[in-house]
Amino acid sequence: MKHLKSFNKKAVQLQKAVSPEEVEDVVAMQTIVGCTATADPGWEIDAFGGLSSLCQPMESDLYGCADACWWPAQVPDTMSTYPDWGNGVDKANEDWRKIDGIFEDEQ
Amino acid sequence: MRPSLLLSSLATIGGLMLTGIGASAAADTTSSEDPTARDYREYLLTVTRPNQLQVIDMTSHTLLRSCDIPGPFGSGIMVPAADGKTAYVITNIWEDIVGIDIRDCEITFHAAQSSGNETVKSFQSVAVSQDGQELYTVQNPVRLMSDHYEVLEPRLAVFEIADGIGAQPVRTFPVDRRITKIAATGTGEVILGGGDLQAIDPETGDIRVVEPLQNWQRGEEWMTPDAFAMHTQGSQANEYIMPYSTARFTDGEQDMATAEWWWGISRVNLETAESERMEIAPLTEVIMNFVTDPTDDNILYGVFNSVSKIDIATKTIVKEQPLDHTYYTVNVSRDGNTVYAGGTSSDISVHDAETLEKIASIQLPGDMSTSDMRVAVIHDAAP
Repeated sequence: MKHLKSFNKKAVQLQKAVSPEEVEDVVAMQTIVGCTATADPGWEIDAFGGLSSLCQPMESDLYGCADACWWPAQVPDTMSTYPDWGNGVDKANEDWRKIDGIFEDEQ
Repeated sequence: MRPSLLLSSLATIGGLMLTGIGASAAADTTSSEDPTARDYREYLLTVTRPNQLQVIDMTSHTLLRSCDIPGPFGSGIMVPAADGKTAYVITNIWEDIVGIDIRDCEITFHAAQSSGNETVKSFQSVAVSQDGQELYTVQNPVRLMSDHYEVLEPRLAVFEIADGIGAQPVRTFPVDRRITKIAATGTGEVILGGGDLQAIDPETGDIRVVEPLQNWQRGEEWMTPDAFAMHTQGSQANEYIMPYSTARFTDGEQDMATAEWWWGISRVNLETAESERMEIAPLTEVIMNFVTDPTDDNILYGVFNSVSKIDIATKTIVKEQPLDHTYYTVNVSRDGNTVYAGGTSSDISVHDAETLEKIASIQLPGDMSTSDMRVAVIHDAAP
């Protein structure tokens, strides 16, 4: 962060949130929602800037991301919020078309 | 899901030689080329959706039985007791732990950890004492209030396995946050895989550092490691492995673009609780986890998008075989002849340990997701 300068109030808040004294709060949120706080790039690009170290195919990784709440922005978390999301689809590679999205206004 | 590697700025890969002390491997004292002549049987265990424990014969590579697990799918994380007859599985969206007799699917133990307005999750952590008397897990409790959550301190919970259905903790001790995989040692401690590798005395709660990771003192030449204990399943070599990635900076600027990147492991001998930490191979690809060849502690196997064979002495990946798809977890037969890639989807890929050629595929009724793939060894009677 030493090379970045905050330009607005929200950015200042973000910068404060990653200060050392705030670390415990971040860890606590991880526990609340049962989710990781990782900021991995996700399914778009791997850690080497390529594609070969991404999970292949994506369907093999689907429940591994949902069950562990690994990427709750990309897939519903089945650990706490949407435990029934994969019901009836025991093999994602074969039946991924049956898995629906999450639409908050229908909850 | 991938290891939480600090690799976003990874640019170059280099080489470095370090020396490990070598964990003692479990001896196969009854090995025979004819598996049917041995006085033990090996069973590969994993959990699949919707929520079943799968028991697989490792001689014929056939599915023997599917045991229903109470509640919705958890994490599929499990550990067999030392006698191999009972597997303890995290279920019910990571909140309950059940014991299942792998010979007849009988539920012999059930600990429901959440109660009232307190939700308790166990993140990957389940272990059984080597005498089979006690079960350990790290509980992560949260109190659900009407207008806020109250995050409580994590704790090691000790259960008496003889308490069976409805078991409650008999002792609890405070532990650090971020602990995932744990394992019981022959010295009576429980290894805690967190920011550092620790061991706790489950009688007193006393904690000692086994191998520092986030607090290692290797100077500015080495980057603080990024460790990942999602799957450690080294029962065949009686080991606990915490993989990590790190960088060795080649100049005083800590420039990641010119650093050498390494895979490393902290490895604990679960019989003696002795440990070692070492770099094992250049970090050229993602590998999800490692397991030691039970007949040669210099050899490791790892999986992700390929199955890899690593020679620790030379710090090299000496052999590699692409896989049909991503697999999260790896295990090995007791004679060291066969390597198994599991997790993610609904098939286990079976490989010759010498050539890494695929020799079989075990089809399962559902996806394994994050589940463990453990080996249960039963000596006196076949299930």
